[in-house]
This record gives sequence, structure tokens and C-alpha cells, in this order.
Amino acid sequence: MKKLEEVLRDWEAVIGLEIHAELTTLNTKMFCGCKLEFGAPPNTHTCPVCLGLPGALPVPNKAAIESIVLAGLATNCDIEKHSMFYRKNYMYPDMAKNFQTTQGPIAFCMRGHLDLEVDGAGAKERIDLDGLNPGESGAEGTTAANVTRTEDGYVAHVGITRIHMEEDAGKMVHLGGGEGRIAGATHSLVDYNRAGTPLIELVTEPDLRTPEEARLFMQKLRQIYLALGISDCSMEEGSLRCDGNVSLRRRGSTEFGTKTELKNMNSFKNLHDGLAYEICRQAEVLEEGGIIYQETRHWDPSSKRTIVMRVKETADDYRLFPEPDLAPYDLTDEFIEGVRAKLPELPDQKAARYMDDYGLSSYDARHLVEHRATVRFFEACMAEAGEGATKLAKPVANLAINDLTARMNADASFDLEGCPLTPARAVRLVSLQAEDAISSKQAKEVLAAVLDEDKDPDVVVEERGMKQVSDTGAIEAVVDAVVAAHPDEVARYKDGNQKLIGFFVGQCMKEMRGQGNPKLINQLLAKKLSE
Amino acid sequence: MAAAGEIMQMGVREIREGLASKELSAREVASAALETIERCDGEVHAFLEVTEKQAFEAADRVDAALAGAGDAEAAVRVLDEMGPLAGVPVAFKDNMNQQGTHTTCASRMLESYVSPYTATCVQRTLDAGAIPLGKLNMDEFAFGSSTETSAFGPTRNPWNLACVPGGSSGGSAAAVAAGMACVTLGSDTGGSIRQPAGFCGVVGVKPTYGMVSRYGVVAFGSSLDQVGPFARSVEDAAWTLQAICGHDARDCTSQDVKVDFLAAVHEGAQSIKGMRIGLVKEFLEAKGLSGEVRAKVQEATEKLRSAGAEIVEVQLPHADAAISAYYVLGPCEAFSNLARFDSVRYGLADPGHKDLSGQYEASRAKGFGAEAKRRILLGSYLLSAGVYDKYYYPAQQVRTLITRDYVQAFESCDVILAPSSPRTAFKFGEISDPAQMYLSDIFTVPINIAGNGGMTVPVGLGENTGLPVGVQVIAPQFKDANMLRVGAALEQAYGPAPLAPEFAGEKAGE
Repeated sequence: MKKLEEVLRDWEAVIGLEIHAELTTLNTKMFCGCKLEFGAPPNTHTCPVCLGLPGALPVPNKAAIESIVLAGLATNCDIEKHSMFYRKNYMYPDMAKNFQTTQGPIAFCMRGHLDLEVDGAGAKERIDLDGLNPGESGAEGTTAANVTRTEDGYVAHVGITRIHMEEDAGKMVHLGGGEGRIAGATHSLVDYNRAGTPLIELVTEPDLRTPEEARLFMQKLRQIYLALGISDCSMEEGSLRCDGNVSLRRRGSTEFGTKTELKNMNSFKNLHDGLAYEICRQAEVLEEGGIIYQETRHWDPSSKRTIVMRVKETADDYRLFPEPDLAPYDLTDEFIEGVRAKLPELPDQKAARYMDDYGLSSYDARHLVEHRATVRFFEACMAEAGEGATKLAKPVANLAINDLTARMNADASFDLEGCPLTPARAVRLVSLQAEDAISSKQAKEVLAAVLDEDKDPDVVVEERGMKQVSDTGAIEAVVDAVVAAHPDEVARYKDGNQKLIGFFVGQCMKEMRGQGNPKLINQLLAKKLSE
Repeated sequence: MAAAGEIMQMGVREIREGLASKELSAREVASAALETIERCDGEVHAFLEVTEKQAFEAADRVDAALAGAGDAEAAVRVLDEMGPLAGVPVAFKDNMNQQGTHTTCASRMLESYVSPYTATCVQRTLDAGAIPLGKLNMDEFAFGSSTETSAFGPTRNPWNLACVPGGSSGGSAAAVAAGMACVTLGSDTGGSIRQPAGFCGVVGVKPTYGMVSRYGVVAFGSSLDQVGPFARSVEDAAWTLQAICGHDARDCTSQDVKVDFLAAVHEGAQSIKGMRIGLVKEFLEAKGLSGEVRAKVQEATEKLRSAGAEIVEVQLPHADAAISAYYVLGPCEAFSNLARFDSVRYGLADPGHKDLSGQYEASRAKGFGAEAKRRILLGSYLLSAGVYDKYYYPAQQVRTLITRDYVQAFESCDVILAPSSPRTAFKFGEISDPAQMYLSDIFTVPINIAGNGGMTVPVGLGENTGLPVGVQVIAPQFKDANMLRVGAALEQAYGPAPLAPEFAGEKAGE
């Protein structure tokens, strides 16, 4: 099979996403008063309504409506003032009523968009931007029409068709088959605790062109939902789920190819890799003269392949019709404005503020806001630093993005907020380095000691006698002695072998047991040797 | 102690007076009702379940509360506190959940289903002090107009056991007509209260959609279903409405409208002076309307005119489209509402098939009767892709037009007077063509489509058949008090509804 890069030279991938988020931060279900709780014993949070008992009726959860309006406002959607719930009829045991209550042609949120900043290696998946200068967008009608070039990548404008409100189904467990699969199972168990969990489904326009864009879209949306506080967005526990629709067309063609729907992409990596595989698979089939069938495929991360789940010969007929048990929903301007007033600072706005207020680079600012933990840490440090915040912002950002993110990536249980590196200690640590009291190498050692031994940076520095010597007089004395002790090297240096400066610095550092300020040593050596 | 038959002829007010004066105990009322059921229901078959234990428990609670009252005045206060139905023997249509009872909807599908919770209308009746006697027969899932589609055998009309009691709330109407309950609750999706009330010669009220909570009532057509009472007098119906109406947080289509039904009844005949009664030409000239029913509607009109009402003619231009719209919207909602009966969690199950759809198909084939299957298939077809736009959508537009017709008609009148059905009760098996059966609802269906309130008031017997005839009084939305006023005036002119003769004499234990 060809590599993705190679495939994308000949083919344009057309990707749309359907992203479900459970509103896990609400107290109760969508249409009844049952508690929302992940991991409770099976069927303990149920009632006549979510069990679909005869005669039970739904009552909408107002807080869920507020959450979806928040999501819509944060993704630049139009909020529809008049919308309705619909019944989507299909029979399956995880849906006790045998219809899902969802929305019809008009959802609460319509016609939104997000702008994706793509840079670094991920930007290379996009091959149709040659000839565009930073700030330029692709011409209307070209494949790059929704893209603007930047210094180190591009910004893609991705349309959002809608975000609608619906209820989740129960959870099925199949026993007796392999790996909990339904194939070969002898029994199926249903847990209705999840049934009726408020769910919002966001559908994108088919505006995404690379697996990296899909991954970034999902990541960005997750950051937004987390900032809004409407979901815990756990891809592992399934509170954030993503299906991808992919089709290919020859470069230059404007017609859509036949799409496949991809499921089970329960991490950002799986989302990227699953789509990348599917694009390559489709290209291979098409290049061999084959046909792509409209089917649902399952990404299997262990074999790194997509597997057919079911073939859709005809479109499913869900017999959608307006839910007569729920009156049409009319949102007032007052309600919408009330929700707007509750919008928190969103990741993009936060990044912009970090660039404006603290002079951070776009890269640093965006990487900081990517994780709730690093954002909170950074904000707490800035508050702690007080007047020195502007000066310390860059080193604090580096600490968070490089050292601490690496820690978090290496150790999933590492909790930045509960760890011994309090914002006060972090500020002290970067201050020590900024004041040249310790070297950058020493700073790393201090950080490790603070985290592992739960001590103040000053205590670590004191105990290990690491204070950097920045006393000019003391360094001058060492420099004089070293220069005097190595006349041959001095001669060769003066003959033009400038590289020998490193030798002299090393000798000085050795004399000072590693505590000399290397910047000062360099300066004073250069001065002495040029005499 | 009063004889069972005597007690079972009493209305709500007489029972209250008897209890207040201690001439009567609630336990005596419960015993009288249960005895009467025991004696009469073999012939009528109105009950699917008799809840003796619950009846005596409720009666004892009333007696215990009254035991503390020193005198009649104190007893009245106790009764007022207990609620409008204290000590009144009631029964519920079998599509209403009452915890611990079977709620079968007269279907094999739910034959063994025991309710784990109680419907709001049932709870409010119980909270008002009523004595619950049991659950009443009906057409399966309320699909029918004769109670013949009950999986457990039909109910017979107490006025003539060879005739149907009407439907779908046939058991509710027959129980009251035979004196086995003072009041009963039924539900009305296209006439299921008003038509059997007419056939059995009792009062039946379908309030405006939204007046009574539907929570806990097994849904047929969610946008059409409404619960209401059967009684032998307009006043008894009013006492019951007083108990069951009002907003319910569990039903978001229920409304918060306060109506003083009892006051409306007490104003009665006097208050209709100057009221404008609307007559609809299309109704009175409808094909299939029998001469004796037409004559009765005309007679009732004259009586209201003599009582001081003004008679006006009103137009309902889209009346003839109502049945078509109804047989689109009703089955569509029913198809979806009945999807939950899939044999997986409760209800009849035919297991042992090789896959899930095998079990679904076999269980539903066994569990549902012919009429239920007909409506499910019809709804499934009407909602399918490509068909939806041709039927469902136009039916909704027709609904809007019909609703508008009524709003406009009520600009020139305060109530509309109409037949409650084209003819009196027919014989078992007489109507076998479903389409013909559907036409027996032509005067009631439009009211469900429009969402208005309508009630049937008995106006004596038809000159040819000798069977009860009812007229229908239709009110503007949420002005249900209007129809109760007119109902009370008609009742004053005709006298209160008698028990069915066969069940009034010897059989009633007198």
C-alpha cells in the first residue's frame, strides 16, 4: 500500500466528522430526573422514563439546552430560536422506547465554523498550498479556497453544519463471543444507566482534507468543550466519540466519491491513523479499478486496518417525525443573551491574550492552552509573579510546555495541580534562572529535585551548593590563573584557533566546580585572551 | 344500611352527604360496588381486574378520617380536606398505570404486565379519596370504536347486551351505565370517551388537550390522547374533573389552566341565558347520520333555545378532511408509541429464535391483535421515506386548517352542539369493515384534531332503536366550563341519566 503523502499527491481526500459529546457535567439525564454517573452498578440510575415503560413521558432538561447553546455560540453557530425534537425510529435493545429522541432538519445550532491552525510536520500532509505566500488564501474554486497560508503552515476554515441535541442509548455487553463482540455471543446484557444521557452531536461540512486536520479539529473542539465545562470529553470512556466520513476524488475533480464511515477512533492518534489508513486503502482499491462501497468500517488499532462492519445498500429509513410529547422549543433573545454572558474565555481568545499581554509566540500560546492543566498552571504562576509576570511569562511557558508536558506525557498519573511544584515554587525556580543565580542545566536538576523531594527551589540550591558564581572579581581571578597555566594553548588561540575558547571555559568551570556563570566566564575569557 | 343497588345509584354529592351524616360508611360503599360488580359483570364484562384489597384499604382510610369528626359539620370539613372524590367508587381504563395492578391495554402483549408506577390522573383520583375498584376493558391499545378488539373479549352494552358499548373506552362507559361504579376514567383519542358515553347513555367528558396529564397513560396518539371522566350526571363529572385536571411537571404538554367545573355546573341552566349555541350544517346533513339522532339533536337545540340560549349557524369548512387526517396522524404516532413492545424487557415474549429480529417478529405477531397490526403497519408505511411527504405533512397542514376553523367558529358562538355519533349502539359483528368502523367517529375525531374539549350528554332514547342517544357539546380550547354549563342545562331539561333498565331493578339488588 502506498504511503499517505504519495496518495495525497494524486488524490484529494474529503473528510467530514460527526462528533458526539455526552454532557457529563450535568446532574441529570436529558428527559428524566435520573442521576448521571459513570461507572455506577448497572441499571441503578433508571426510572419509567429512561426505561421506556408504557405511559412514561419525557420532560426536557433545561440545563442541557443551555449547554448546547454554549457549544453553538463557542463554535460560531447561528442559534435557532425555533426548533423541535424528533423521533428517530429504529429497534434495538439499547434504546428502550425503540426510538431515539433527537432533532429534525433544524437543530438548536446551525451554520458554524472553526479555524484550524496547522503547522509543523502536520502541515506537510497538505500538498495543494505551493505558490501561496503567507497571508494569501487559495483562489475561489480551488481545493485551497478555505485555506490561508501562514509563516509556518496554514489556517483552514472548517464549516460546521449543525449541532443537535439528542439522548444517548444504553450500553450493551455481549457475553460468550470474542472480546465482547456480538459475533458468537450467547448473551447480551443491557445497562440503561447511560440511556437518556444528554448528547450533543456536531456535524462538520466535508471541509477537511487531511487526517491531521481531522485530528486538530477534534482536539480544538475538545478544548472548547472543556473550557465551556459541558463535558469531561473522555475519548477513552466514550464521553467524546468521533465518526469520520471519508471519500477520495482525483486531484482537480469536483465531484464527490463514494464515502465510507469510519468508527472506533477513540483517541486522537486513532483518529489520525484510522483516516490515513482508510485514505490509502481507498486509493489502492480505486487505482486497481475497484469500487468503493458505501459501508461502515471499524478501525482496529492493533492490526492497524479498517474492517467492514456493515454494508449500507440503501439509506436507513428512520421514519423521522416530530416528537408529539415535546412541544416545539422557542428560545428567547433573553435566554440566548443570558447564555452568551456565561461564555468563558475560549482557547483562541486566551492564546491571543497571552500573545498580547505576555509577548508569547503563537506556538507557545497555542500549546499552553491545549491542556487545561498547563493553562491553569500558567495562569496561577502569572498571578503569583505579580508585577514580574511579563518578564517571567516566557520561561514559565517553556517550563510548562517542555518540562512539565513531557512529564505528563511520560506519566499519566502525574497531576500538575497536585504536584509539589506549586506556582510559587515554579515562579521562584524560573526567577533563579532569570537572575542568573543558577544555570539552565542546574534549573533542570532543581526542578527534578522539587518534584521528587517536595522541597523549595532555594532549599535545593542551598543543599546542593549549586549557587552560580556571578561575582566578576572571583571569576576574573580564576580566568587569570587558567590563562597563566596554559601558555601553549594561549599561543595557539592567538594564532587563530578560536575553538580553543571551549577548552578555557571548561578549565574555568572545573576550577569553580561547575558553579561559574558560563556567560560571564565566556565574556571575561574573551576579553583576557584578546589582551 | 342501604341496599347495594341504592348506594350504587347515588351520585358524588349524595355519597358525601351520606358519609357526613354517618348514614353511610366508605366500607359500605366499597362493599356495594364490589357486590354489584360480582353480580353484574358476568354479563357486561366491563372489568379486566377487580382490586378488592385496594378498594377496602382506600375506603378504610376515608372511614378512619371521618371517625375523628365529632359532628356532620366537622365531617364535611374532613371530606373537603380529603378531596372531591372521598368515598366515591371509581374504576380506571386499563391503559392507565396503577402501581401493583395489571395494565394490559386489553392486549395479549401486556397480559402479564404489572405496573411499577402510577399515572398522574390515577394518582390524583386516589389522592382525592376515591375507592379504586379495578381496571376496565377497552379496545386493544384503544384501537377501535366498539371494544370488540379487546383480546379478552368484548364488553356488552348494559342497555342491550346484544349491542356494543362503543369504544374504545367501552368498559368505562358500561361500568357506569350498569351502576358498577359511580365514575370511571377513560381516554379519548378520536372519540373514545364521547362515543361510548352516547351508546351507554351516560355523561362523558373529553377535556381540552392539555387539561389532564397523560403521564402514565399508555400512549396511542400522543398529540390526540386526553383523559376524562364518565358519570351519570354532569355534576359527578365535574367533581372528577376537579380532581384530575391541572398542570403536571411530568407531562410537558399539560397546561396550567384553572377551571372551576363545579361552579360552572351550579350556574347551570341560568347561565346559558344569552349563550350562543353553534350548529354546523355539515354535521347535521352528514351522510350516515340516522334520523333518530338528528331528531334528538334538534330537540336538544329547541330545549336550549327555550332555556334562553341563542342558536347560531357556524361553518367548519374543512370538517370532511378530519377523518383522513386522523387516520394518518393517529397511526403514525401509534406506530412509534407501540415500538417499545418488543418482548425484550417486559410483555409477551416468544424466545428461541436464531436472531433478535426473529424474536421481535414472532413476539409482536403473537402479542398484537389484527387492528393493532393494521395501525402499526399503516403508521410504518405512512412515515417511510417518500411517503411521509405525501401523507404526514399534508395531514399536519389539514390539522392546522381544522384548528383554525374551530377558532373562527367560536368567534360567533360559545359552544357547538353536534351528534356524538351518527347512530345509536350497533350489534356485535354488525360492522366488520374497518373503514366503516372508522366513520362512526366522524363527529368526534375533528375535536381531537383541533384539541378542543367536547362532552357527551345523554338526551333520552332514540325513537326507532329505543337505545340511548347522546349529544355532543364542544367548547373553545380551555373554556371547558362553557360545555359543562350547557351540559348542566341539558341535564336539567332531560333529567339525570338513568341506570340501564336491566341493571336498575332486581339485578341492582333492590
